[in-house]
Amino acid sequence: MRELFHEISSTLRNNKLRTALTGFAVSWGIFLLIALLGAGNGLMNSFVGNIEDYISQNITVEGWRTSKPYAGYKEGRDIQLDESDVLFTESEQWKGIIHDVYRGTGVTSVSLSLNGLSVSGALRGVMPDYKEAEKMRMYTGRFLNPDDVDERRKVIVISLYQAKELSPKDPDAILGRWIAAGAISYRVVGIYHTDESEMSRLCPIPFSTYKGIYDNTDKVESISFSVTGPETLEEHEAFEELYGTAIRLRHDIAPDDRRGIWINNGYTDNLEMNKASRMINIALWILGILTLISGIVGVSNIMLITVKERTHEFGIRKAIGAKPGEILKLIIAESITITAAFGYIGMFLGMVACQIMDKTVAQRSIDIGGEKIQMLVNPTVGLDVALEATLLLIIAGTIAGAIPAWKAARVKPIEALRAD
Amino acid sequence: MLIELQGIHKTYDNGQPLHVLKGIDLNIERGEFVSIMGASGSGKSTLLNILGILDNYDEGTYHLDGTLIKDLTERQSADYRNRMIGFVFQSFNLINFKTAVENVELPLYYQGVSRRKRRELAMEYLEKLGLTQWASHFPNEMSGGQKQRVAIARALITKPQIILADEPTGALDSKTSVEVMQLLKQLNQEEGLTIIVVTHEGGVANETDKIIHIKDGIIGEIEENRSHSAWGGSIIK
Repeated sequence: MRELFHEISSTLRNNKLRTALTGFAVSWGIFLLIALLGAGNGLMNSFVGNIEDYISQNITVEGWRTSKPYAGYKEGRDIQLDESDVLFTESEQWKGIIHDVYRGTGVTSVSLSLNGLSVSGALRGVMPDYKEAEKMRMYTGRFLNPDDVDERRKVIVISLYQAKELSPKDPDAILGRWIAAGAISYRVVGIYHTDESEMSRLCPIPFSTYKGIYDNTDKVESISFSVTGPETLEEHEAFEELYGTAIRLRHDIAPDDRRGIWINNGYTDNLEMNKASRMINIALWILGILTLISGIVGVSNIMLITVKERTHEFGIRKAIGAKPGEILKLIIAESITITAAFGYIGMFLGMVACQIMDKTVAQRSIDIGGEKIQMLVNPTVGLDVALEATLLLIIAGTIAGAIPAWKAARVKPIEALRAD
Repeated sequence: MLIELQGIHKTYDNGQPLHVLKGIDLNIERGEFVSIMGASGSGKSTLLNILGILDNYDEGTYHLDGTLIKDLTERQSADYRNRMIGFVFQSFNLINFKTAVENVELPLYYQGVSRRKRRELAMEYLEKLGLTQWASHFPNEMSGGQKQRVAIARALITKPQIILADEPTGALDSKTSVEVMQLLKQLNQEEGLTIIVVTHEGGVANETDKIIHIKDGIIGEIEENRSHSAWGGSIIK
């Protein structure tokens, strides 16, 4: 084995151009693959991450304005949901399907202030499960709990953005302090992560507190709930149809008037999104595999030419006693050495490229309708994928080299010696 | 008897069958210095390739040192070539990216001899042929005569039974040709090596002890040449 290694290393050292060209093909293939997969992963992460902020695993029902005449009413009628709709949603009819119904209040804009600093906020009365439903991430402190609602506590959860505005030096210090929201004071119990979007002005307070102070009626701005039972996109759509028709008819709205009562179905959105991200993933892998194939073709092409070029040399080796197996071993061991060494270099450079992308492109974000969206999020490839791809190229390169090697090993020495 | 050929036939079939060897009977004793002479196309190179187990034959028998050389696998023939035969070619057939000493030690690599031992022996043979200071030079840095001497060192290093030389002076000038032939003669006399030279030059053949004439695929005259008086007695044309 050591002898073979010496033989190969001297051959490679004395054929620098050939070694460099083969090596470049291998490195380039792996480099492209890793960089592409990295960028693709970044795009995926950005896509999934950005979307996940908006898609919640629940259904929200809101009253809007009718767009169709129905049951003797003209179009253009404002629809207001109330407690009876909540009771309807919670009724036996939907037992086992609809869970965790909670009411959403309207939004009241106020100015939050502390020690002379102020920032605008949008108060909303919510139930404790609002956090899960809207996928809010806490920065520090806690979200609202059932006791807050039961006891109508004057507690508030604000965004990190607001905390920074109110307490620029130490946003964390605001936790537990009383801040003024308009004419009323609330104690800050938690700060949630902000994405610099408009949403970050939202300040959840207990539903009962909100109702008592800002909206002392049985009106409900929105009803949200989660659903178990429907699994596929079709089943979710069928359920939405069924529930939508029922609740619309309660308000004398045409069953298909989506504007009269609007239903935001997080489940179907999510399923659609999963489908889209699966497609992106498949597209990425196809691109990756095509890149890998082009790398393999490059390597096999060079191996083919190399072996052809060396036919005469193999003839000499055979004449002085090299067995066919030794010729095969020599070529394959050489090809493995080259692909492994240069594949490793390509993998390393590819990962460096991913890091550079992470430090440059991924730091930039673009503005879409007031939303800051990062084009690439964490555009890197796992070491396992990188190693697997490199290994795959090495194996493929070896197989690609083995075919011409096997042919070369079988050529009769007299024919090989005649070759130029 | 070191080499025994009986009724060797060889036909090449490249579209049209070409009957090259038409029944060769030939015996060569151990320690002989023989030349095979003939015009181009006479079949002398084919005969040499068969003797060197580089090519196979269709009919007849070939015994080398008592072993029947027929229907061998590539592995077996490689092994026989490595242990029993040393080749010297017209175009030297050195590996260009290997130095002189690396070329010389290559046959030992295929015998599994250790690196240190290989290098030692190769240097020994290079010294014998007066090439010590050329050991680390590449073939393209050497003259034709030097290259052929490297090739001879490579042929000798496995201590073979026979040296087969295919037009060993074909690419050399006449002065160098004389030197190479003198070297082969010396190896035959001092080491008792069996040497078979294929040539179409009378002067070269005259240096050997026996001249075998081959014409149209059959052996013609076999000329004893102990006095080296055939062809005017000189290699120089």
